[in-house]
Formats: sequence, C-alpha cells, structure tokens
Amino acid sequence: MTLTSRTALSILAVLSVLATSAQQDPPTGANDLQVHGNFNIDGQLYNPDEEIGAVPPPEDWGLNAWGNLIITKGAFEAGLRLESYTPPLLGYPAGEPYTGSGLGYRYARYSQDDLDITVGNFFEQFGSGLAFRSYEERYLGVDNAMDGVRVKFKPTTGVYLKGFIGEQRLGFNSGFTKGPGVVRGVDLELSLNELLDSLAVKGRNLVIGGSFVSKYQEDRDPLLELPENVGLWAARLNYLSPHWNLYAEYAHKINDPNSSNNNIYKDGEALMFNATYVSKGLGVSAGVHSYDNMVFRSNRAAGPFDLNINFLPPLAKQHTYNLPATLYPYATQPNNEVAGQAEVFYKWKKGTALGGKYGTKLAVNGSVAYALDTLRIVDDTVTYDGYTSSLFGTGDRMYFSDFNVELRKKVSSTWEFALTYLNLGFDIETVQGKPGKPLIYADMVILEGMHKLSDANSLRFELQHLSTKQDHGNWATALVEFTFSPHWSLTVMDQYNYGGAVETDEIHYPLGSVAYTRGASRIQVNYGRQRAGIFCVGGVCRAVPAANGLTVSIASTF
Amino acid sequence: MMKQLLLPALLLAGFAGCDVIEEPDNPVPSTNACEGVSNGYGFRRVLLEDLTGFRCPNCPAAADVAKQLDGIYCEDLVVVAVHCTGVFASPTTTPPDPFSTDFRTAAGEAYVSAFSPPGLPNGLVSRRAFDGSQIVGEDNWSSAIADILGEPAQFEVTFQQVNYDTGTETLDLQVKLDVLRDTVGEHNLVVYLLEDGVIEGQEDNRVPGGIVYPYTHNHVLRDNLNGTWGTQVFNGAITTGQSNVLPINDYVLPANVLEPANCHLVAYIYRVDNDEVMQVTERKLVE
Repeated sequence: MTLTSRTALSILAVLSVLATSAQQDPPTGANDLQVHGNFNIDGQLYNPDEEIGAVPPPEDWGLNAWGNLIITKGAFEAGLRLESYTPPLLGYPAGEPYTGSGLGYRYARYSQDDLDITVGNFFEQFGSGLAFRSYEERYLGVDNAMDGVRVKFKPTTGVYLKGFIGEQRLGFNSGFTKGPGVVRGVDLELSLNELLDSLAVKGRNLVIGGSFVSKYQEDRDPLLELPENVGLWAARLNYLSPHWNLYAEYAHKINDPNSSNNNIYKDGEALMFNATYVSKGLGVSAGVHSYDNMVFRSNRAAGPFDLNINFLPPLAKQHTYNLPATLYPYATQPNNEVAGQAEVFYKWKKGTALGGKYGTKLAVNGSVAYALDTLRIVDDTVTYDGYTSSLFGTGDRMYFSDFNVELRKKVSSTWEFALTYLNLGFDIETVQGKPGKPLIYADMVILEGMHKLSDANSLRFELQHLSTKQDHGNWATALVEFTFSPHWSLTVMDQYNYGGAVETDEIHYPLGSVAYTRGASRIQVNYGRQRAGIFCVGGVCRAVPAANGLTVSIASTF
Repeated sequence: MMKQLLLPALLLAGFAGCDVIEEPDNPVPSTNACEGVSNGYGFRRVLLEDLTGFRCPNCPAAADVAKQLDGIYCEDLVVVAVHCTGVFASPTTTPPDPFSTDFRTAAGEAYVSAFSPPGLPNGLVSRRAFDGSQIVGEDNWSSAIADILGEPAQFEVTFQQVNYDTGTETLDLQVKLDVLRDTVGEHNLVVYLLEDGVIEGQEDNRVPGGIVYPYTHNHVLRDNLNGTWGTQVFNGAITTGQSNVLPINDYVLPANVLEPANCHLVAYIYRVDNDEVMQVTERKLVE
C-alpha cells in the first residue's frame, strides 16, 4: 500500500492531539511530552555547461527536502518523516526513483522494562549486517526501511532477543513504495559477562550472537523453479577487553537465484574477521573477509541499490579529501570478493624527539580486494550452481588496492599541518562498470594546513594532486576556507584536470561557498561547477553527474 | 502473556522460511518457435517491447529471454525489438562493416524519451507499471507477462483486408476493434511494421571478443504506420458490442525494410491516460 498525504495528515492530527492534551496536563518528570526533530533542504539551480557535460533537468531546478518529527511521552514514542523531491537533484537517488511529496517514514513504539515493540517503519541491524541491516543514507539515496512489526525482548540479564516481520521500502512516489517481498528475522545475543557472574571480569566480555533471516517472494516465473522462501543464518563472536576488540562472523545463505547472480542456485557464504588493539598513543586494526554470492534482496530482480536485506561491510578506508573520496572510491562486490585491510595509528608524545613541542600523529593504512577464485561448471543443467569456489580462494583479478600514510603535526600554537600520500590501484571496469577500461594506478599527495588567526577566526587550506597515466589523467585541487566564529565560513575551491600523460580538455572546476551557522541551524550557499564523480558511504556508491549552478542547503535540528 | 507469545511466533515465522531446491526443474531453452497453447479469444495478449541496441553488450541475453518467453506463450505474446538510444543503436561504421545499420526509428526514440529507461536492456510489458515503474528488466518480464495474461480482455483487435502490392511495395489494410467489456476513456490504436532475419553485428559480452557477426536480429521495429502515438479510436464511455475500424491506405514500405516477406504487422490498442496496452495482435505482412 502506498501511503498518501491524507495518511500523513491523519498521523499529524493524532500527534497534534497528543501535543494539545499534553499541554493541558502539567509535565511530570519522565512522562513529559517531548518533541524533537530535524529538517534538511537541498536545492540546486542548474546551468547548462557543455564543457563539463552538465545537462540541466527540464525544470532547471532540483530539490530534496525532508523533515523528521518525533514525539515521546513516557514509554511511548511516535514519529514521522515527510519528504519532497520536486524534482530530485540530478543523480539522486542511487536506485529506484524518488518523486513528489509525501510521507516517507512513520512509526509508533512502546518501550517499557524488558520489552520494546515498534509498529510501522523501523531500522534494525543484526551483528555486522551480514544477515540483516535496514538503514538509510539520505545523501546516498539508499533507504531500505522496514514496514511491519519489530519486537525486542530481554528475558534475563545478558540475553537479548529481537524479531521482526515486514516489507522493505523501495522508492518514493508521493509517499514511500514497497517491494514485493516479505522479510522475517530473529536474532539472539548472549553477553556472557552479564549472564554468568563466574565469567565477570571487569572491562572484558564475550558476546555470542546468532541470526536467522528469511525472505518470501512469490514465484511467478514460468521459466524457472524458484525458491519462494530463502533463508540466511549467521553466527558471530565478539571478544572485548580494555585493549582488544576481536570480531568474527560467518553467514550462510541457501539457494537464491536472482538477477545479480544470473539465477544460479549456489549457496552463498560470507566470513569476516576483524581485530583491533588500542593502547595509549597506539592503535592497530586488521581485518579480512570473503564474500561469495551474498546478494540478498527481497525482490530477486531488484537493482543493486534496492531492497537489500543484508549489508556487507567494506574493507577500504573511506577517504574524506575530495580527490580520493570522489574519483576512485571502492564499492563492495557482494557476490565475489576477498579483501583485507590493516591500519596503524601512532602518536609521538609531546617532548619526544619526533613529537616535538606539540606531539606528532602518524596513520598508515593499506587495503586490497581481489576477485574470488571461481571455476565455472561447464555442463550445469542439473543443479544450476553456476560455479565452484572456496572462501578466501583469491582469483587473478585485483579490484582495488590502497596504501596511504598520513602525518599530522602541530608546529606552533597557531599552525597545524597534515601531509598525506596515497597510492591506489582501481579496477574501474568492475567497480564502476566501465568495460574496456584499463586498471588505474594513481598517486596522490595532499597537504592540509590549519592556521588560527585569532580566537574567533581561522584559516584552513588543502592542496591535493593526483597523477595517473590512465583514465582522465592528472587532477589538482586547491581549497581555502576562512572561518569567522561563531557564525560564518567562506570557502573557495578549484579543481583542475590537466591530463598529464593523458590528453584532456584541461578543465577548471571552480566552486565558492558561504555558510552561516546559528545554534543548531545551518545555511550554506554554493556556486560553481561540480565535477562528475562517485559518492560513497560504507562501500555503497552512486554516480554524481557533472553540474554547474547554485546550490542552497538548509539544515536545522530541534 | 503477550511477551511470551510474540517472540515464539516470530521465531516460528522465521524458521519456516527455507525452500531448498536440490535439482531445479528448469526447462532447457527451447529452439522451437512455439510450444505453448494460446488462451484464445476473450483474454488479453501481451506486448513485450524489448528496448535494445546492437552495440549493447548485455542485450543479447535479454533477447534470449524474449525468445524463450515467445516459445512458451506463442500467440499470447508479441515481441518487438525497439533498437534505441544513440549510445547503443547508432551506427559506428560504414557499410558493409558490422555496425553500419541505423536500426533506430523516430517512434523508438520517442518511447525512450517518454519512458526513460535507466539503461539497456530493459523492456515495457504492455506498458503497465509494475512496482511503480513501467520499465521492467528482463528478469522480471516473465512474471510481469504472467500477471497480465490471465486477465479478461476489454477489446479484440483483428487485421482485415491486408493487401500488399509487391510491385509498388504499397500496403492497404484495416484494423477492426471490438469492445468485449464496458470501459471508459481515450484509447488509441498503433500499428507497427516489424522485420525478422536482419543480419548485422551485435555486441555480446558472453562471447570472446564481445562481438557476434553475423547476428540475426528478429522482431526489429521498422516503422509506425500511423504515427508514434497512433490514432484515437475510442473516447468517453465505451460499451460492450461497440466496434470501430481503422483503415490505413497507400502506405509505402520504408527504405530500411530489406525483405518484405520477413515483415510482420502488429496492432495494439492502449489507454492514453496511463499508456497501458489493452490488447495486441500480430500477423505476417505476406501470408
């Protein structure tokens, strides 16, 4: 059922009645009525710009806006989100289109003692997400919110149970639309430190968890005998101590022929290990994982961004500097990936030879991802398994490699610098679906400086350079940002693609930005060119088209 | 009490959900033209418009799905290959090289513009919206077709008096529309000209080198006999028993047709308010 604006108005009416009645009763401590929320508006006026390939939409304008309203009173909570895409910004969202204005999320929740019940929309996650993760990334345009019932129950200390049944949000057409499947799941977590007094050691804990998630989708395919109920189970262990965090999770999915695996009946598997060690001034983390045929969606034919039931965490550093973050970020390959990552962080103390007067920070990070070693089954007309494989069997094809070092040092009471070097290997053919393109190798050097002009004013700059002999060649970025506390900041940036070893049109991408902040509200205005690129969050990426124009963003929380 | 019942119920619901299929009963793709039996008079047939291009490497796999479905549904399914978009269907070589033919039509480009597929291959299944979108990926074609096929038809569409003059390559025909059930609204009729057996190149990412030549293109949309969006045949209240005849006279086959003997005619009636194709029929140009 598609929710209409009438439904939204009804819910708003109920909420306002609650609010009115609450105003008539004097507040009584924990049972006070509380109203919270936030809203966000991003509008863009587009100019045509042939040089960068920017084509405005027919409306010349795009607008993404949403507002959340949450009301709590005692053990009850209710909330809704209204959304508007009139029309959506170019390239948004990542998957099924969003259009029009209406209700995007609504729920009611009761939480008392050991019981917590939600009806309507909810987000939830089991373990690291290998079995189930319902979440949203609003700027990515990914939202697979559940719509149904969720129950959380703690029968005794240290035992945590969760269960849910519902459908998933798919797109938005004057209200959220849902996929055709139903998703059901249960999760049990035992916290041994809490459960068994004999094991109780201060600061240490062993958490054991297990999940089962199943989806139902009718088989209406006359060509294939499809499983209508597809189950996935997962088990996890997490050891925590003051210095260590060790995590392991395994997931197994039964036959799930779908559009992403060419309708094969092979089981899916995922195994991951992560270890983190932290002590004063030192942090070390390492992780490996293997994903084999693990796309799990509540519609077999859904696109890569839609109706995902699980989430496969990436093992690649999420860079924040513009060039590495938007040119060659890595997106997880859920059906076929073996990856590893290691990172060391060290801080030389003040007063040491390398630490100097203010201390020195060093972060070294490396990650690599390969295709899984698979062998195609030639005469595959009985079991339709497609191929054979083994977890952590590494194939010949490298998807991604990243080695980066960041040195951060405060050199005086007013100056701080960060110097970063990155070396990337990027299989653009697989990761961005550009057939025939060679593997890209790129080197990047980034210098960031921060200067305190006075107690209220500061200056920050970035100089970034990327060199590669493939793709679009070399890029340079310069950014200067003045901050006049507490309200104003002014930023000027230019990106320049000058090719180097590759012939390019040598294009500049200038962008100016003014931001005003007051309390929990922020208004920002940008004008200039936006380079076509990739925007990623948590290993999920969407393409952002080239654009030229004026952008206005307003955000506020209350 | 509620606490004790809720979670076991959820647990049961969850663990019930596993259908393990050891040996799927999947048919080996058929090479025969038609193996099924038609639903016959009074039921809806389906128009599958395969949005494709000869430089689209994923499109041959979709064409194979269409061919399989054609073998199952026979007369109940009419497949049309709409070669479209400059990216995937514009020629890149000059004759006689394998990508020199421009398969695009003005109507095909207008449909792409109107229905905005996010990429190719994709399709329109009687132009009905499934899960909110009229664009349907090839993996969903079979279930979308199955959704429509069992439905009673509101119209019957039949070709009458089809006369093709081989000397002048001129065509005269009539399309008769019979109303089988009451309905309302503006309805248009469109007539397509298709051609089978067109030999050209085709990009195909399933083969070494990525190019198949010669590749036989079937169901190729060559022209619309009465414009991109057709001719209005009904409007307002439409009552059972009503009928209409659309004549098309002195239509000259376009220059892109290679062999009239390989051509087919397709006629369909659609609702103008939502574009849904309500009935479709097909016949050979020369029988």
